[in-house]
Amino acid sequence: MKKLAIGLYLLVTAALLGWAYNQAIYVAPNDAAQGEMFRIIYYHVPSFAVCFIFFALSLLGSIGFLALRHNHPDRAQIADALALAGAEVGVVFCSVGLTTGPLWGRRAWGMWWTWDARLTTTLVLWLIYVSYLLLRRFAAGPQMQTLAAVLGIFGALDVPIVYMANRWWRTQHPAPVFGGGQDSGMDPTMVGALLWNMLAWFLWGVLILAFRFRVERRQQKIDAEEAEQALNA
Amino acid sequence: MKKLGTALIVAVPIVLFARALWLVFAAPAEPPFDWRLHMSQAEHDAIVATLNHLYTRAAYTITWAIQLGYAAWLCVRWQSQERKSPRKLSA
Repeated sequence: MKKLAIGLYLLVTAALLGWAYNQAIYVAPNDAAQGEMFRIIYYHVPSFAVCFIFFALSLLGSIGFLALRHNHPDRAQIADALALAGAEVGVVFCSVGLTTGPLWGRRAWGMWWTWDARLTTTLVLWLIYVSYLLLRRFAAGPQMQTLAAVLGIFGALDVPIVYMANRWWRTQHPAPVFGGGQDSGMDPTMVGALLWNMLAWFLWGVLILAFRFRVERRQQKIDAEEAEQALNA
Repeated sequence: MKKLGTALIVAVPIVLFARALWLVFAAPAEPPFDWRLHMSQAEHDAIVATLNHLYTRAAYTITWAIQLGYAAWLCVRWQSQERKSPRKLSA
């Protein structure tokens, strides 16, 4: 039953990704000013939207770990696995955004990168979470998970700054497409493609997040078993 | 068969990544700043349209390369967990 549900979810996600790709490439019209290049938005924006959701999930996992680590160690391990999975999958989506962005910028602005507030805060966000993952990979000892949780909480504080950067400061990065004032917004024929891609990439993100969570839970069990064997030896 | 599957899921993102790089770096040169001295408007627009097309394709390709690369890494990690301790995992 479980395998059937996973297979069905996989099928729906794959179909939606195909459908969303079709919407982005063949259905949505070219932008009047930027032409075909504007289609990068259908992968660029959903990547960051999903990335923010998973960093928020990582924040919840980190808070959960810190709250539960003394009284409910088993639940704390689940929260820790969720925090790690959220951070790692978030970094993957953030990397996609940080790669597609410069490709778009090179054609739209004539440069790969500029140190404006939106781009810089996004890079800082990515670096914080990469350092989180490096800490988890290379640090050892009982305090590692606690340190990672604290770093995860501080990393998440950058998310609202990234989101608001092009509202608070004048940036090279365009103003927000949605909720950015009187002249913001998108042609209705383009909104559909964007929303389909958001949904499809969100479902894909949940799929790999669940997979990463499962891998981490297995790793925790292996580590606990090895520690027990070492104590008994 | 399993090894072939693993090789395939690892090879696909690598090929996609290489393709994305190729799309960007094998693209034609951008029109020079004083392009009006060297080419017509139509020629200029054709080069710009080609570049836009190649960069858009590169962005889509690199997205799939990163996502599938990560998924492949997870699959490899899953398999290595199974190889390391089948007894513990089945327990």
